[in-house]
Amino acid sequence: MKAAQFEHHEPTTVEEAVSLIESLDEPTILAGGQSLVPMMRFRLARPETVVDLNGIDELDYLQEADGYLKLGALARHADVEESSLIDRQYGSFADTAPLVADPQIRNRGTVVGSIAQSDPKGDWGTVLLAHEGEVVAHGPGGERTIPADEFFLLPYDNTLAEDELITEVRVPTSGDDEGSAYHKLKRKVGDYAMAGSAARVVLDGGRITDATVALTAVDITNVSVPDAADHLEGERPSGDLFKQAGELAAEHANPESDEHGSAEYKRNMVRVLTQRALADATERASNDGPAARYGTDQMAVGD
Amino acid sequence: MAEKDITLTVNGTDHELRVESRKLLVHAIREDLDLTGTHIGCDTGNCGACTVYKDGEAVKSCLLFAVQADGSEITTVEGMEDQPEAGMGNSDLHPIQEGFHEMHGLQCGYCTPGMIMAGKALLEENDDPTEHEIRENISGNLCRCTGYQNIVKSIEYAADVLNDREPPESPVEHEGASMETAPDGGVETDGGCTGPDLTREYPGGDQE
Ligand SMILES: Cc1cc2nc3c(=O)[nH]c(=O)nc-3n(C[C@H](O)[C@H](O)[C@H](O)COP(=O)(O)OP(=O)(O)OC[C@H]3O[C@@H](n4cnc5c(N)ncnc54)[C@H](O)[C@@H]3O)c2cc1C
Ligand code: FES
Ligand code: FES
Repeated sequence: MKAAQFEHHEPTTVEEAVSLIESLDEPTILAGGQSLVPMMRFRLARPETVVDLNGIDELDYLQEADGYLKLGALARHADVEESSLIDRQYGSFADTAPLVADPQIRNRGTVVGSIAQSDPKGDWGTVLLAHEGEVVAHGPGGERTIPADEFFLLPYDNTLAEDELITEVRVPTSGDDEGSAYHKLKRKVGDYAMAGSAARVVLDGGRITDATVALTAVDITNVSVPDAADHLEGERPSGDLFKQAGELAAEHANPESDEHGSAEYKRNMVRVLTQRALADATERASNDGPAARYGTDQMAVGD
Repeated sequence: MAEKDITLTVNGTDHELRVESRKLLVHAIREDLDLTGTHIGCDTGNCGACTVYKDGEAVKSCLLFAVQADGSEITTVEGMEDQPEAGMGNSDLHPIQEGFHEMHGLQCGYCTPGMIMAGKALLEENDDPTEHEIRENISGNLCRCTGYQNIVKSIEYAADVLNDREPPESPVEHEGASMETAPDGGVETDGGCTGPDLTREYPGGDQE
């Protein structure tokens, strides 16, 4: 089907975008369009005005600054996939990027757009939660930051106000003693997750001083698992410990049976994926080098 | 009201178009420019039949409004024969096109334009990819017919041509192939199985 008629606006600065969004009647923001364009074609979305961010060059960045890894609203999945900074320091981002959709969609789709989409099956929300990141929003009243764990409300719903746009998502910079990983189970290459788990650990003197676990596609939003984090903190990493944390994540998960698998199966996979993500995160925390060298090569699976 | 004037440079030619904002790039290419080589195979962004090469990367032209492509440079399958690499092999075709022809990379051909454009995007970045890299790079393109095996070989064939290596001989019967082929295009085996005899006469087959 054709999308309904709409007026296309192309601001070139954030300021211009903010004032357009304020002045227009219920505008919709267009970033990569890899979720919005199909929704408009199915008329699940029928905006009368569209504010296209693609001309705002100041939003096209992926960089470390002021103690954060910052991704501007135009950082594409492919930019994350190709970044050597990501490969060296942010294992969970390096794992996730090539597992999102397919190469063409990764060339256009943005990380921020995924987070704004707030699909519980989306991968980036889980990574943002695992890194205890923040969403930076701009509206008529100026800028505000929303912690990841206060952002997601319901499937496709979040705490962003109608007249706000997200300019950036950011996570605290990852030190040499931190490691992270993301493991995703999908039916076939390019599919959304049946279940996914992100883990992040910080090691000091052989003990885990900080940890987080977050999950994809097993609840009404991406969720973090505080029980698993509490269980890990202060302990020495071991297979047994990761198994217990995996079991806590499985208990926390709330999956639904569907044509791809039963709730029981998905719950069990949450345990397995969490154990694997914790093992990879720990290996990366103890070694310096590209993410691909330490941890599991998930791209090789299924060949 | 919801219309815009845009310029698209497609296969080296500038086109000035007036389009509704809601018009997809794939519809502008097919309907306004009459370049129907770019196909539409789904409504969901899954199949990749609509893949074009836009400003140096492969994109699905059904997931982009034409107004978003204003000012961009696009190559579609129709432009492949005019690329600088065309003619490097044994024909006037682009090596990827020649690969699909020689290695039997298509059956119905519906997915082929998208596969060729995804293949071009890969070879522009890396002209000698591994089989794994080829499979990764066509993972956004679905084919109902071939089982992908010969599509991978077709892109490998192109990589051979681009790297001055002798590409493998076509398994398909045609001029220049030295392999003995059966009438159905297959290769005769020791068991003497030759497949159906395509030259046999059919009842009523002589009707004009
Ligand atoms: C076939 C297919 C497979 C896919 N597979 C996966 C997958 O495996 N994993 C996965 O995570 N995703 C997957 N996706 C979705 C893809 O990652 C999208 O890129 C992403 O969901 C949306 O990002 P976008 O930049 O394309 O946003 P858009 O489609 O442009 O926008 C999505 C929504 O977010 C809003 N929005 C976008 N940017 C902003 C902003 N800066 N501020 C406020 N609101 C904003 C829009 O208004 C819209 O409501 C898939 C998509 C397709 C078509
Ligand atoms: S028609 Fe574009 S992906 Fe199927
Ligand atoms: S050749 Fe028929 S879909 Fe690929």
